[in-house]
Amino acid sequence: MTWTHRERILAALNHEEADRVPIDFGGAEFTSITLAGYERLKTYLGVTTPTDPMSIIHSVAHPAEQILERFGVDTRNVQPGPYEGGPDHWVDDNHYIDIFEVHWRRTEKAVDQHFLHKDGPFYGGKLTVERVEDYHWPNGNNPGLATGIRERVAEIKALGDYAVCLYLPGGVIHRGYAMRGFEAYLKDLYKSPEALQRLMDKLCDFWCDTAKTTVEAAGPENIDIIYFGEDLGTQDGCMFDPETIYANYLKPRHRRMVQTVKDLTNHQAKVCFHCCGSAYRFIPHLIDVGVDALNPVQVTAKSMEPERLKADFGDKICFWGGINTQRTLPFGTPEEVAEETKRIIGVLGTGGGYILNSVHNIQAEVPPENIVAMFETGVQHRYH
Amino acid sequence: MSTKNIYDAVLDYDEECVPELVQDEIDAGTVVQEILNEGLSAALDEVGARFSAGTLFVPEMLMAAEAVQAGLNIIRPLLVKSGARPVGTVVLGTVKGDLHDIGKNLVAMMLEGAGFKLIDLGTDVDPEQFISAVQENDADIVAMSGLLTTSMPEMQKAVAALQEANRTRNISVKVMIGGPPINQVFADKIGADGYGVDAPAAVEQARAFVSG
Repeated sequence: MTWTHRERILAALNHEEADRVPIDFGGAEFTSITLAGYERLKTYLGVTTPTDPMSIIHSVAHPAEQILERFGVDTRNVQPGPYEGGPDHWVDDNHYIDIFEVHWRRTEKAVDQHFLHKDGPFYGGKLTVERVEDYHWPNGNNPGLATGIRERVAEIKALGDYAVCLYLPGGVIHRGYAMRGFEAYLKDLYKSPEALQRLMDKLCDFWCDTAKTTVEAAGPENIDIIYFGEDLGTQDGCMFDPETIYANYLKPRHRRMVQTVKDLTNHQAKVCFHCCGSAYRFIPHLIDVGVDALNPVQVTAKSMEPERLKADFGDKICFWGGINTQRTLPFGTPEEVAEETKRIIGVLGTGGGYILNSVHNIQAEVPPENIVAMFETGVQHRYH
Repeated sequence: MSTKNIYDAVLDYDEECVPELVQDEIDAGTVVQEILNEGLSAALDEVGARFSAGTLFVPEMLMAAEAVQAGLNIIRPLLVKSGARPVGTVVLGTVKGDLHDIGKNLVAMMLEGAGFKLIDLGTDVDPEQFISAVQENDADIVAMSGLLTTSMPEMQKAVAALQEANRTRNISVKVMIGGPPINQVFADKIGADGYGVDAPAAVEQARAFVSG
């Protein structure tokens, strides 16, 4: 049989083998390529289409359709439109304030000019329930969030039978870090747990309302994947205790988010959760709340060896990513990248359950030859 | 009363109790150095060991470090007055082009709790800023952090610049590095004197530098 792009992705998510391994590139903000890396790739491929940033803050490009076709990419991205009437604005080229009044800054000295949050509305002082309640929260029903979604879905449908991936930014942890500060947020788990949970619920409300606004604009039947997530792991372990902090505070919110989007799409769409670092000890929880796929599968982090992941969880969750961004892609040869890609497809892709992509966005210094080697290995792959 | 109470209070993340207990010990005539070593630093070492073992995590480390900091605020002026020298002086920062500071800040807290004097240059630090800070503070160690793979060449340049300064600018400083993409192989390759896989390992490395 001839497989369409969408069928390939759905086969993997259903733990079945298609004709070849399915490929993602740019389906979401953390499965794409940095702006600097993208310019090099465009030059190498002779692509002259003007660059369309997916996110200036995270320095990520929307890969051009021409490149997606060349790499046999099976996904296409949809995401919320710009919020209307919010406080977001540019202070200058290196300083942006978003709709949550988080200050994002970058350094011009960087190769990869992404921004990091450096101030927010709950920075400093004690976090109280009143502070959280009195804040003028953005509204997930804002009509701007639906802008362009219907048109983008129609555009994808006209291109072919692709898996439509709705990327929903934010969550209850990272946006919380941004508004409160990383260290203060984590200490509030002990010092102000009630207020922090109120903050999490406000963020959860916004995310779920945004999901409703965008899924309805797209048409629930048109969404194949909802992609979201936040980092629970570090390079060497867990950010917080999986069995206490995660299970008691964060998991109930993640469960609500996953259930919300499943209900909105009549349980047709699959949910992909992004978690950098050592996700291993959180995977059973993610499976339990209904997550179908894990991205980016940071194979260099603790307990994230692909063999271990496939053996322990391969029948319950699909792996999405896994091509080494910390070693092979930036520092290997194209031959080494091709070998690594074949190895990962062999380990994670046997019996389905794997979508090919780099671990996180392809970084600025990755040679274009290596990017081509990764995707061409995927395109040439055959299950039988 | 004993420094054991301080140790226990740190492990209970009790930032209100720790300074009170420290003050009690001082009033009882306990040597300040003993309060630091056996109470605050020993407790933070235990927290570090549990962190490295994966039985305790970032929020708990931050809470314990904050409790230690509350105790240090009381004994620091007394240590200065007594003429006690810090265990060593560390200049630290995230390398040029990188704004990530979570890991660097954890290392800073752990080093401070271990009795080191810290000169934290923040993020996006040029090699020359590291060198100037070493000269101004007569530092023993430079600790560099980076999260991105694109920071690795910057780290290599900064290590080379510090080694050059060791030869030509009358300083004698050890350089240690850390961060998610960093490992011992890379540290050896660029000629760094040491590497820490996590914050407790960085403290161990720093202690080895000043004792050796």
